[in-house]
Amino acid sequence: MKSILILACLAALPVTAAPQQFQLNLDAVAAKASEHVDVSLSASTLQFAAKFLDGNDPDEAKVKKLVAGIDGIYVRHFEFKSEKAWSQADLEPVRAQLRGPEWSKIVGVSSSEDGENVDVWLRTSGNKTIGVAIIATEPKEVTVVNIAGTIDLETLSELGGHFGVPKVKAPEKPQKPE
Amino acid sequence: MDWLEDELRRALSRQDPPDGFAERVLARSRPVAFPARRWVAAAAMVVVAAGAAGAWREHRGNQAKQELLLAVRLASVPVHRVQSQIRGISQ
Repeated sequence: MKSILILACLAALPVTAAPQQFQLNLDAVAAKASEHVDVSLSASTLQFAAKFLDGNDPDEAKVKKLVAGIDGIYVRHFEFKSEKAWSQADLEPVRAQLRGPEWSKIVGVSSSEDGENVDVWLRTSGNKTIGVAIIATEPKEVTVVNIAGTIDLETLSELGGHFGVPKVKAPEKPQKPE
Repeated sequence: MDWLEDELRRALSRQDPPDGFAERVLARSRPVAFPARRWVAAAAMVVVAAGAAGAWREHRGNQAKQELLLAVRLASVPVHRVQSQIRGISQ
C-alpha cells in the first residue's frame, strides 16, 4: 500500500511541480558578468506574491491578471562592464534546447544601430501555448526568460511599456493634402 | 533533680520528622500562582506569536511581490521592444 502511495505521488510530481521548461545553463555568461539577477518563481510562490499586489494600481492589477495562468517564471539577467565581455557562443547551450520540436520561434528582432537582439519562442501542446522563452541581448546585457504556463503576450508587452521603457508611439502617417 | 533532668532531656531530645514532612512544608511555602495571570501570559504569548507570524508573512509576501515585479519587468521589456519594432515596420 505504501509503495503504491509513493508511486502515485511520484507520478503526480511532474504535473504539480511544473518546473522550468529548459535548463538555464548560463555558467559561461555568469562567469563574465559584473551583475547577475536570478529570479525563479514557482506556481505557489507566484500565487502567494500575487496576493500582495495592489489591485488598485493599474500595473499591479495587470500583473495579477497575467500571473493567474502562469505556472512559473524563471529569469536570468546579466550585466557586463565592457561590450565584448560575452559572446553569442555563451548562449548556445540555451539556444540548442530551443531548437527542439516543442519550441517554435515566433519572432526575432535585431537592431544594428544599438546592437539589441530579441528572440521569442513559444512552446505548444496541441493548440495550446504552454510556455514562452525569451532571449534578449544588448552589448552589455543578456536576459533569458522562461515563462511556464499560459501567458498573454499583449498584456506582457503593455507592461513592458510601463516598466522603465517609455511606450513607443508608432509614427503618424502623413496626412494627404486636401 | 536527676528525674527532672531526665524528663527535660527526653522532652527536648532531637526527633526525626515524619515521612514526607519536608515535601509538605516546601509545597505549602510555594506561592500560589493566580490562575488569571497564567491565562494572561498565555494569551500574550499567543498574540506575540501571531503578530510575529503575520509580520513574517507580510515580509515574505512583499519580498515575493518585488521578485515577481522584477521578473515581469525583465520579461516584458524585450517583448515590448519587439512589438514596438514590428508596429514601426508595419506602419
